Amino acid sequence: MPEKTAGLVQGTLDMLILKTLALEPMHGYGISLRIEQISKGVFQVNAGSLFPAFRRLERNGLVASEWQPTENNRRAKYYRLTELGRKKLKAETREWQTQTAAIARILEA
Amino acid sequence: MAILRKLVSGLKVLFRSGTAEKELDEELTDYFEEAVAAKVRAGAAPEQARREVTMEMGNMDSVKHEVRSVGWEFSIETLLRDVHYGLRMIRKSPAFASLSILAIAIGIGANTAIFSLVYGILLSPLPYPDSKRLVAVGLHERGEDTPHAMGVADFLAWRDQQQSFEHVAVFSAGYGSFDLSGLGTPETIPGVSVSADFFSTLGVSPMLGRGFLPGEDRPQSPPVAVISEEFWRNHLGSDPNVLNRSITLDGRPYTIVGVMPAQFRFPASKPLDVWTVRAFAPPVARPPYGLRAFGHLKPGVTVQAAKAELDACAARITQQYPNSPELVSTMVPLKQWMVQNVSTALLVLLGAISLVLLIAIVNVANLLLARASVRRGEIALRVALGASRWRIVRQLLTESVLLSSLGGILGLLLAYFSLRAFLAFGPGNMPRLEDVGINGAVLIFTCAICVGSGIVFGLAPALEASRGSVHDPLKAEKGNLSSQAARRTHNALIVSEVALALLLMIGSGLLIRSFLRLRDVDPGFRTDHLLTAVIALPRSYDKPPEIRAFWKEFLAKVEAMPGVSAAGISMSLPPNHLAITNPFTVEGQGYDRNRKLQLAEEMAVSPDYFRALGIPLVRGRWFTESDKVEQDNDPMIVVINETMAKQYFKGQDPVGKRLQTGDPDPKARWETIIGVVGDVKYQGLDAAPEPTLYVPYNENGWTLWSRGMYLVVRTPMEPQSVVPGLRAQLASMNKDMPLARVQTMDQLIEDSVVQEKFRTWLVSGFATIALLLAVIGIYAVISYGVAQQTREIGVRMALGASAADVLKMVLSHGLRLAAAGVALGLIGALAVTRILRSMLFSTSSTDFMSFVLTSVVLLAVALLACYIPALRATKVDPIVALRYE
Repeated sequence: MPEKTAGLVQGTLDMLILKTLALEPMHGYGISLRIEQISKGVFQVNAGSLFPAFRRLERNGLVASEWQPTENNRRAKYYRLTELGRKKLKAETREWQTQTAAIARILEA
Repeated sequence: MAILRKLVSGLKVLFRSGTAEKELDEELTDYFEEAVAAKVRAGAAPEQARREVTMEMGNMDSVKHEVRSVGWEFSIETLLRDVHYGLRMIRKSPAFASLSILAIAIGIGANTAIFSLVYGILLSPLPYPDSKRLVAVGLHERGEDTPHAMGVADFLAWRDQQQSFEHVAVFSAGYGSFDLSGLGTPETIPGVSVSADFFSTLGVSPMLGRGFLPGEDRPQSPPVAVISEEFWRNHLGSDPNVLNRSITLDGRPYTIVGVMPAQFRFPASKPLDVWTVRAFAPPVARPPYGLRAFGHLKPGVTVQAAKAELDACAARITQQYPNSPELVSTMVPLKQWMVQNVSTALLVLLGAISLVLLIAIVNVANLLLARASVRRGEIALRVALGASRWRIVRQLLTESVLLSSLGGILGLLLAYFSLRAFLAFGPGNMPRLEDVGINGAVLIFTCAICVGSGIVFGLAPALEASRGSVHDPLKAEKGNLSSQAARRTHNALIVSEVALALLLMIGSGLLIRSFLRLRDVDPGFRTDHLLTAVIALPRSYDKPPEIRAFWKEFLAKVEAMPGVSAAGISMSLPPNHLAITNPFTVEGQGYDRNRKLQLAEEMAVSPDYFRALGIPLVRGRWFTESDKVEQDNDPMIVVINETMAKQYFKGQDPVGKRLQTGDPDPKARWETIIGVVGDVKYQGLDAAPEPTLYVPYNENGWTLWSRGMYLVVRTPMEPQSVVPGLRAQLASMNKDMPLARVQTMDQLIEDSVVQEKFRTWLVSGFATIALLLAVIGIYAVISYGVAQQTREIGVRMALGASAADVLKMVLSHGLRLAAAGVALGLIGALAVTRILRSMLFSTSSTDFMSFVLTSVVLLAVALLACYIPALRATKVDPIVALRYE
């Protein structure tokens, strides 16, 4: 089983989840699907990393969750971004951009 | 905030773990279904989709495990599970568990008890505000090393001139007692007279009333006293209007101005009932030196500066009293001064008991190690199921800390009761016992050694158990030989255990020998059938003729009592109640001021004192009633002891020779030696003999000093049986005078060595425990070795080895270990017993007999411990042993 998430920088998965949730609340499978789609299949997130990440984010108060019926008429746990999560995402994004820009400059120099 | 949230959600998981688990299950199922649905939508067959998603998601349990391990509560859960598992293992092997718990309980309990003494007495700060700046102050002659008490002249000048201290104060060095009358039967109560700044220097105040006011120690001030809470309760019925009441001490009325709270007993080791303020009249001479001084340093002032100031002050006083010696000051922290007599002994006890704990730890480590090889199968199974080595070690360590904690709890109980027993029956003359108890600091110490010893004795076995490959133990559960490494560890542990035990046994052997020698010391007189007491005449007896008349009549009445063969009085009493020492000059010696001061124990005695005590007369004669000494110009006479005769009258007859007492002064009066008596110990049984001077109590200069005297009564009967008669005689002369501190001489002798006796007992007790633990350790390891070697022994016997051969093999193995331990222990003992030196009396710290005897005992006992398993080895049936194959 190809494990492409292994290439993710530590903590990046958390940022991707926050970004995905910035649009709308989603359940676990939806989040993993969205990440896979937007990254055009570069990042395949497996359950083994995804669920611990949810627990971690929830613990840190960056996301909140509640049980809601899904479109398939089942109950699913929906995660949404909290105010703290939104701030964190903003900060992380800025930090990420600064870093990638710097790394890009170094690589192109 | 963030921490609180994590705490709350963690706790939720811990306490509602069922709900949390269910939610996680549901969420994962949902994820699974969604994924399958997506694949089906993309055109896969439902069966195919399910299989694919199952493969993608991997092991569901490991996903859950990952999620659970996110929070802090996970480690708690693991711990709880490990503890639970550990408890189950303990229940499964009760014999092993109770043996280890007991060994640890003894080790930790005794350590806790001794540590609470060390903490209360040596480590905890004095219970006075800002107590770090309290210093004990002494003056002494240059070249001497012990700080002495100071005289009134030095104290008054220092108090008035010093700038370094907030306050300075003194108390009488010979603090002791007051005669209380007017409240029922007259009795003697413990108390001390102090200067007015006594309480303010310590920074303490009474619970009722006030301390002493500055100036209350001036000569004409009305006498005032502060009493203890206990005295207030027991003697005055907790009278709320106690202030300004009057009590009669030594025949003089004192006004009560304050009540000190319970527990306050400075400067004594035992509870005090009363503190009186002492009136300081302008001194006529520099001696006597009878005041113990202390002060509260000002912030920012160094001890050096304070010392320099007092030295300068003392130098000025030396100029005022040109015959007096030059004195310099000593300053030590007050706490250190209070505990100086016991600190070495306490630290030695702590060292000894930590050795016992070490041996207990080694013992349990050995047991665990033996079990580790038994448990290798179980552990291999867990490794095969995916447990990491760290996880196994952690599990085993949890088990061993669990063992040590159970031992610790039991030990704490043990410590609590032994401490109570100690406070009730142990030597009561130790300082600061009121500050001793099982308090927070002691509990922290106990917890630390619990966890520490659990980890220490668990680590080697845990590493050993978790070592090695998965396959071997699983394949061959039975009959696997314990690994070479494990056996080496076993042997090393036994050797160190024996070495530690020997160290303790040698220490206790030295203390026992020293104590026996101390008990064998000849005090210089017959101690049996001798009763002692203290009688102090009240202040109303203030003229020498009255005092002489009282004693003469009283002693005559006592000697006329049936059952009394002789009675005498003395200012000092053997074996360790010396009141004063005095400088002296022998005729012809000259008056060189640089000559080292020669001091004699000097005491006023009645003629029959020698006969009552049974001190042998060597030359000349004793004092008699007919000696004419009571008038100012009567010739002065003295009796000296043999040591003085030997040191100062070599080869001559001292009888008829003359000497002077007091500071060297050509104009001092001459005193003629009329007799020489045997040496008597006045400064403790362990003290070297000192020159002693006896003078008649009725000599004019001494009579006023003879108001408080020790009474000694020799009787052929049981000594206590004469007490009622003595009390009656005393009451017939003065109804307000108590017969105080009634004790037999044998009791006094016993009391004088109670601390030596106590620590000897304690260390010997520790050594016995150590020996027992070591023997159990050897026994266990040798038995275990025999059990492990059953097959090898079987093979040997099948090949023709006799029972004697097998016996020799096992015994020599045990003996080799014990001998190695003894060798190591002897080397260690040579290195460390010197710390006992200050506690040993005429015994070298490398005393040959102690070293050899204890080694032999230990080897013999070790051999015995090996004999039982060795005998069992000879019973091995080769057929049975080989059937295991």
